[in-house]
Amino acid sequence: MIKNKMGALAACAVLACGIAACGSSNSSTSSGTGSADTLVGAGSTLVAPLVSEWQPEYDKKTKVAVTYGAIGSGGGIAQITARTVDFGASDAPLSEDQFKEAKGVVQIPWALAATVVAYHLEGAPNQLKLTGPLLAEIYEGKVTSWNAPAIAALNPGAHLPATKITPIHRSDGSGDTFAFTNYLSHISSAWSSKIGHATEVTFPVGIGAKGNSGVGGAISSTNGAIGYIAIAYVLENKFDYALVKNAAGNYPVPGIPSISAAAKTLTSVPANNEVSIVDPPASAPDAYPISTFTYALVPEKSPKASTLKPFLKWAITEGQTFGPKLDFAPLPAQVVSADEATIEKIGS
Amino acid sequence: MLASVASMALIALLVYKVFDQAGESISHFGLGFVGSSVWNPVTRRFGAASFIYGTAVSSLIALLIAGPMSVAIALFLTELAPMRVRRPVATLVELLAAIPSVVLGLWGIIVMAPFLNGTLEPALRSALGWIPLFSGSASPFGLLPAILVLTIMTVPIVAAVTREVFQTVPTELKESALALGSTRWEMVRMVILPYAKSGIVGASILGLGRALGEAIAVTQVIGDETGIHASLFAPADTLASRVASTYQGATSTLEISSLAYLSAILLVFALIANAIARLIVRRTTVRMRPAGPGPGPGPAVTVAEGKA
Repeated sequence: MIKNKMGALAACAVLACGIAACGSSNSSTSSGTGSADTLVGAGSTLVAPLVSEWQPEYDKKTKVAVTYGAIGSGGGIAQITARTVDFGASDAPLSEDQFKEAKGVVQIPWALAATVVAYHLEGAPNQLKLTGPLLAEIYEGKVTSWNAPAIAALNPGAHLPATKITPIHRSDGSGDTFAFTNYLSHISSAWSSKIGHATEVTFPVGIGAKGNSGVGGAISSTNGAIGYIAIAYVLENKFDYALVKNAAGNYPVPGIPSISAAAKTLTSVPANNEVSIVDPPASAPDAYPISTFTYALVPEKSPKASTLKPFLKWAITEGQTFGPKLDFAPLPAQVVSADEATIEKIGS
Repeated sequence: MLASVASMALIALLVYKVFDQAGESISHFGLGFVGSSVWNPVTRRFGAASFIYGTAVSSLIALLIAGPMSVAIALFLTELAPMRVRRPVATLVELLAAIPSVVLGLWGIIVMAPFLNGTLEPALRSALGWIPLFSGSASPFGLLPAILVLTIMTVPIVAAVTREVFQTVPTELKESALALGSTRWEMVRMVILPYAKSGIVGASILGLGRALGEAIAVTQVIGDETGIHASLFAPADTLASRVASTYQGATSTLEISSLAYLSAILLVFALIANAIARLIVRRTTVRMRPAGPGPGPGPAVTVAEGKA
């Protein structure tokens, strides 16, 4: 009995030593490769696929390891405010209050994507045409059936069954919610005053699902569902998606060309780098109306400034080449130069 | 002793931290928070009423369904099932408890939601639509799928504990009732159930505790809406589910603080449920204490097989 106990204790001790040795040898090899610098970031799930592409490329180039936690835009803002990460990422620009709470953080638009309206309607074709005001009415609960006259008028000849429309939204804080509600606020003053736009709003009707995958799952399991998801997710999973009418009266297919067309309408970048290209003017005939920039949030004074600045500069220039296969459009030139000016100001 | 001191310290620290973080919201909204059903991050007005309603309704109805079902399962396993069937069925029921909540929620989205939306809810509405609970249009997510998911999570716990309690009923009590001429059902009704009453209540409270706190599976199927609706089909939200889904993405310190306030309310709920349970258990135990050994684990007397 005692022999067994001693044997067990000895085994535990050996195991613990072994684990400790493994742990310490791991850390020694990682510092041995010379990656003395690391960057830790967290935030937006929209930009996460692009950051995943950047991580090995940047490590190969500069031996700096970038870790990124896709916890959502709201989480990114919270973490950078608390300075628990080196950089945050958010699809929504910071509001006045958030700037105040963050105490000295700048936002740098570093990727450009789009939010697409996907739907699941058995018997109906793909790429149904919708307009912004109609989307607002659907999400307000005023248009409740897929064969409503407003939808039929836009899609003559399409077979529209009398299924109930179930609008789906994100239950967690999301940049796609921001882009979508930002667009609806622009084209509907009723939406703007009653509901507003943010990463998290109170939708009057519809059901909420958690994450892009939750919305995707809800759409695929519910006949008659409509929801807004990041473009990469829609194209990857081959959902049916709607063509939204832009200000010029056209129905551009969401993709790099139409997103870039929207970005070209940007005339100037304001001092706080808040750029909005939802509902671009009619001068851009092929612009996709629900395109959105996503931002890196960086402290103006950071102890990691010497590592952070090259990474950001690389992200907005060379890093953009990895975007198109993930449905991110390249940043327009004036945004890149505004970003570079902001990055210069980061100090330690 | 160190372990018990450590756990007491942990509980005290946890409760303190939750109420501390809720401080900003408590001072901003006061007790009116509990009565308001608005939750709007844009206008920064928050209130807990819709979630308290969702939590209460979903947990209580789930328990109402799971309770009798678990008692029936436990009775089957202890009294009716042939010996060869007992072990596998008991294992299968307990395996239900081993399913991770996320997987159950995923099953809810992929399998249950379309079934509810297309088949069950319209059927309930046409049959029982005059009851406010079953009025309203069918929806894939809502209180009803949340209740079903919670029932699935509660049944294994309540069934397992109830089965243990039923096994402690002294065999001679059961046999004397049968010998006096009662049918099997009468024996169950007059001997087993009264004897095990406090145990059944205890098991139900364990199940209620699980249902109250379940966040992940519920948040995937409940549809995340604020507001209080009479219909079970309408999307809703519970305290735990709201905290789980929005804590990461909270856009202001007031919202984070309000979520902590929700957690504090949930803690109070759990405490109240626990206190009620203890009260019921104490009263039924006192009333039911027989002249001989009282209810408790383990048979007090070995049984002489049959031949008197």
